[in-house]
Amino acid sequence: MSTKYSLTAAQKLHYRWMQQYKTQQVSGLSAVASLKTDLDISLLKKCIEMELERYRCLQVQFTKPDKNGEIYQYIPEKRNIPISFKDLSEMSLSEADDIMQRWAYQTFDGDDIPMCEFTLVKLPDNYNGFFIHIDHRLMDSCALVIMINDIMSLYTHYRFGSDFPGALFDYETELINDIKKSANEKRFMKDQKFWNDLLDKYGEPLYSDIQGVSVLEDARKKHKNKNLRCADIERENLFVAVKDYALDSASSKTLMDFCLNHQLSMTNLLLLGIRTYLSKVNDGQEDITIENFISRRSTKDEWTSGGSRTIMFPCRTVIHPETDFLSGAYEVQAMQNRIYMHSNYDPALIWDEIKKRYGTPEDTTYVSCYLTYQPLPVKPENPYIKEIPMHTKWFANGAATKKMYLTVSHTPDGGMNFSYHYQTAALCEKDIEIFNYYLMRIIFRGVEQPNLTIADIIGMV
Amino acid sequence: MKKEIKFKTIVSQYCQLQPEEMMDEMRFREDLGFSSLDFMSMLGELEDEFDIELEEDKIINIHTIKEAMDLIKSLEVAV
Repeated sequence: MSTKYSLTAAQKLHYRWMQQYKTQQVSGLSAVASLKTDLDISLLKKCIEMELERYRCLQVQFTKPDKNGEIYQYIPEKRNIPISFKDLSEMSLSEADDIMQRWAYQTFDGDDIPMCEFTLVKLPDNYNGFFIHIDHRLMDSCALVIMINDIMSLYTHYRFGSDFPGALFDYETELINDIKKSANEKRFMKDQKFWNDLLDKYGEPLYSDIQGVSVLEDARKKHKNKNLRCADIERENLFVAVKDYALDSASSKTLMDFCLNHQLSMTNLLLLGIRTYLSKVNDGQEDITIENFISRRSTKDEWTSGGSRTIMFPCRTVIHPETDFLSGAYEVQAMQNRIYMHSNYDPALIWDEIKKRYGTPEDTTYVSCYLTYQPLPVKPENPYIKEIPMHTKWFANGAATKKMYLTVSHTPDGGMNFSYHYQTAALCEKDIEIFNYYLMRIIFRGVEQPNLTIADIIGMV
Repeated sequence: MKKEIKFKTIVSQYCQLQPEEMMDEMRFREDLGFSSLDFMSMLGELEDEFDIELEEDKIINIHTIKEAMDLIKSLEVAV
């Protein structure tokens, strides 16, 4: 009989969205990993089957909700993850991507069922590999990259005799550790105090929209409250569009060097850039909140145990416009560091506290922008396949719970990719183009002259 | 001595070094490859394991293994 475990805070985040938006689609995660070479498909299937045992997060299932709406996770005694095959080689790569995009929109509906499926794919231009479609509660993007690299390592071991990859840490053991940590009452009290102290210090947060002050003004009219500090969330039309912007390798290096030379993390530079733009289009607003995703992987065991460890916390900073750019970056960094120390907390409790204190209306939010920075490259270091062209692609699940969600990642050529997922109900491509244009101008102006004040930069760009 | 081993065992979970390979002057970020998240998560774990409270103004002065160990010792004495 399988042991049942409660969900972790990171898993609860996705489960709550599923409940709020009434579809599992919001929790879909899909990607394709393929190489431009003649892969032995039956061997690849064998490697995926081995991976299901090595990386047991792939097998997790969820129980039916109990009378309180709680669900539990478990690893079934008999695994039954489907692995199928599809030949998409007789079309263009773009058409094949369109088909895989449609697969990504599928949902896993039901209780006590596998929440993951693999499809071995033969793609155009002799790209061959696999497509994975999985529930986000089983795995986050870091875990997915580690899994892809591990499957490739298994493949090259059997195909070319490379070293057998090292063991991955057991998912269930790490889950037990996580649940034990979250049950530490003293730690919980410290985390709760940190988040409540921020509210004591700054009061109710204030919404800032990437389209400017009109969004908050409209919400104030709708709710007949001229002092309202939050705006409405789109709950009906969740369709999401994706727009990617590439930053070339030389410009990316400029940003990375700046971070290295000033002991600043890229996340904090990006957060400062975004908050400066929000300040610019919201009449110089100083109190800005951005939701930042953190992948809670620090120990070696956490890195290799798979699972979903990505959790988002509000990064709220109040920065005076006369603060210089570098000092502003350090203010963001100081706040983020404090958040990291208290990131075992369930973020839903922060919003519950805000709602309790300020009577925040249902279906409203203080945040319009969400950020994920992914330092991990998808390109594997495996020497046997390092030089082979790869086609890897993430597919949006088609249902956005967030107005605008920016994922920043590094590309194999040394550049960076800024991928925007945005709700089409509220935003159009032009909004994203403007946002990205100003974000780049703000960041590069600040990096070139870090002694300029935030107000100067807002005025110049 | 036992506390030092316990401390280094915790640190070793976050990096590629074994406790016995760690030297006092090693820096968390530059030598052991800690990210900000790694460093702050480790400090949280140290708080829990040694039952201490780390203050922000003291944390920013921790760069090396020795500085962290000295801070823990001083806080334990204070308790």
